[in-house]
Amino acid sequence: MNAIEVNHLKRVYRAAIGVFKRSIKEVVAVDDISFSVEKGELFGLLGPNGAGKTTTVKMLATLLIPTAGNISIMGFDVVKQANEVRKRIGFIFGGERGLYWRLSAEDNLRYFASLYGADPEVSKKRIPYLLEMVGLKGRGNERVEGYSRGMKQRLHVARTLLHDPEVLFLDEPTIGLDPVGAREFRQVILDLQTEKKTILLTTHYMFEADALCDRIAVIDKGCTVALDTPGGLKKHVSDLSIVEMETFGAPEEVLNGIRALPFVDAVSVEDQDQRQLLKVQTERGAEAVPDLMAALDGQRVGRVIVREPTLEDAYVRLVGGKV
Amino acid sequence: MNVLTKNLRLFWQGTMLSYIALFAWLRPVTYAASKIVMPLAQMLFFVFLGTYATNSNNVDFYVIGNAVQITAVSGIFGVTMSVGGDRWAGTLPYLFGTPANRVMLFFGRAFMHVIDGTIGVVIAFIWGVTLLGLDLSHTNLPALGLTILVTTLSTCALGLLMGCLSLITSNVMFVNNTVYFLLLIFSGANVAIDKLPAWMQALSQILPLTRGIAASRALVAGQGLAEIGPMLLTELGIGFVYGTLGYFMFHWFEVVAKRRGSLETV
Amino acid sequence: MNIRNIIKYWRVTLTVAEMTVRHQLNDSFIVFAVLIQPMLIAILALFMLKEKGTDYAMFVVVGSGLTGLWSSLLFVSGNSINVERWSGTLETLVGVPTPFEVIVFGKNLASVAQSLLSMVVSYALAALFFGYSLHVDQPLMFIASVLLTVFAFVSFGLIIAPIFVMYRGVQQWQNALEFPVYILAGFLFPIALLPFWTVPISYVLPPYWAAIALHGTTTGAAPLEETFFAWGLMLVFSIVDLFIASRLFKFMLYKVRVDATLDTE
Repeated sequence: MNAIEVNHLKRVYRAAIGVFKRSIKEVVAVDDISFSVEKGELFGLLGPNGAGKTTTVKMLATLLIPTAGNISIMGFDVVKQANEVRKRIGFIFGGERGLYWRLSAEDNLRYFASLYGADPEVSKKRIPYLLEMVGLKGRGNERVEGYSRGMKQRLHVARTLLHDPEVLFLDEPTIGLDPVGAREFRQVILDLQTEKKTILLTTHYMFEADALCDRIAVIDKGCTVALDTPGGLKKHVSDLSIVEMETFGAPEEVLNGIRALPFVDAVSVEDQDQRQLLKVQTERGAEAVPDLMAALDGQRVGRVIVREPTLEDAYVRLVGGKV
Repeated sequence: MNVLTKNLRLFWQGTMLSYIALFAWLRPVTYAASKIVMPLAQMLFFVFLGTYATNSNNVDFYVIGNAVQITAVSGIFGVTMSVGGDRWAGTLPYLFGTPANRVMLFFGRAFMHVIDGTIGVVIAFIWGVTLLGLDLSHTNLPALGLTILVTTLSTCALGLLMGCLSLITSNVMFVNNTVYFLLLIFSGANVAIDKLPAWMQALSQILPLTRGIAASRALVAGQGLAEIGPMLLTELGIGFVYGTLGYFMFHWFEVVAKRRGSLETV
Repeated sequence: MNIRNIIKYWRVTLTVAEMTVRHQLNDSFIVFAVLIQPMLIAILALFMLKEKGTDYAMFVVVGSGLTGLWSSLLFVSGNSINVERWSGTLETLVGVPTPFEVIVFGKNLASVAQSLLSMVVSYALAALFFGYSLHVDQPLMFIASVLLTVFAFVSFGLIIAPIFVMYRGVQQWQNALEFPVYILAGFLFPIALLPFWTVPISYVLPPYWAAIALHGTTTGAAPLEETFFAWGLMLVFSIVDLFIASRLFKFMLYKVRVDATLDTE
């Protein structure tokens, strides 16, 4: 039996808009997503903003009812057997909310332990253990309102481990953390994996998925577009090389000109202050550079590098250049 | 554009926007009801309590007192929320960043509530006449109207000062609720001032509403503008003092906040 | 629900109640609703009813305490689910194995129990500031009445909270519901003063029967049967309320997961 089984999941939001003339607008957040996760696996859900990651996780965590399709967690259906599922899962949604700021960290944990039906005697030992594990030892009796964002996020991890769940959902857990905090947080995730937890992680940071996940599902516009190991995904672009070119304020028409070149597979553009970094995927490698320069048509060009593709490039190709 | 029109426009925008921001979350029907039905409920409670207490036909005393007191819903709740609202919305730094005339900016916050409060009291008097047998046949109605307007002005002025207080304490709901209920006790709306202990009577004399309510009762009893004139002037003077204090407090808040560079967290 | 579950959930309820009190301890709005407002109403009523004599002091203490109980039920318990949604904790609470109604029951129990403080404050005020000597005529019956009142208020709150979540249009009437119940439930004056057609409305309000029981047992003026009758009705209302609440919660939890309104973002 797989830990998580997702079949043809679909979710449509209906929203009333307008104050006086109410009309209903439908938005398809998740269109058709299927995947399964084995026990003990660290599984990544990767996709650009608005791809449907959070909606999917909320359905997995019994907090939203799917419009169509079904999900089972440890063999239990998330709609019909929500309570059985809830006993076995923990979840974190990135961000600072979801804790009681005027209570101390320990009180927060004691509260949620009780709601998860944990034995008070067991919790008495487990709470200090968890606080230590997430690096909050000695700060447990402080009120949460004084915590930094990273500390709150780690407290969320402790909260979600109170009842020792078998399956964990982590939705963008490192969002908004500073680089050091994010690195510490990734270490916590790796530690969890050694405890044989099944973990589903969503992120839009490529290196994070690459470093952590056993397998990755790439989703875009509510559909699964690829599902493989990080190595397997990289094979999607193994026939390509990446030409990175630094430009300074090149207009959109010029970029579109490059995208239209027959030998160019995909182009992504990263804006960095005054500069842009164009990442051009092409089979021709270094040979493509003169033609690309010509296409840039007199734009100022800085550094140019030709390199091997990474997971990120595979991702760019899969989701069509949006990052 | 000359200075006057510019300032008038500023006054108008500040006043309208802050008023709309305050009530936009209510549906139109609920908004109307909050202006018409809610004052009635509070008035009925105190009128019943008062008649039960005195066992006598003293209904007019409570009807008039509570009808005029209704102005504090706009004058205290409305005004403090309009002043404090900028802080919640985080717009205070932008306001303080503009060269806008601070007097216009500040008093503009109260303008809609003066209209609101005046209408509120008129509605309450209409309830009094239609439901509670209030007799206005001997009353100089224009003088009563003037009294209502003056009382509303002075109450709104206290609201401005309290709004500034809530900017500093960041506790609008606590401040305005407490002041509102204190006015119910001290204004003489429900307890005749001479029944209060001496120190409470002293406090009553420096609060808005007290004279407005007394003047309204006198007018309904058949007295004329000449008799109540001095009371109205004093009521207006009290309002002027609170408004001025409020303005200086607002000004002081701006100076301190800018010096500390902590507009949102002071 | 079997006995083991009841014991388990009772423990959860107590933890929830404890945490709710701790969390609300320094929320100034709650301090206002529970302490300041009923105290100011008590001062006002004590002045107004002064001429009625000493006997009425205890009546005012109980009556203004009841106003605190009702306001706190309306604003604190009524919003107990909305508050969690605004602070982003609602998702976590719905995603735990403990039934959500048990959690809200615990929260409301805390709010209603702590608002009993308003009665204590009114008592102290009447005794110290006004120098009345106060006594409760039937202390044991009074305590029983308080316990039943708490139960009836908590159960009533379990209906209001999900309605306020599902129907924003109703929640906006919150402010308008405060004084009418002060009037209709006879907290500070008998409903005999009111027009006859309002009487049926009073009869279906649990706070009305709470006021009958509490006033009756403090003044000793009411015959025993009347107090027993009020107790019986509070119990009946509580059971009916709990039944309706269990349906409402089921419907609400389904609706919010279909409409995706668990979170405000």
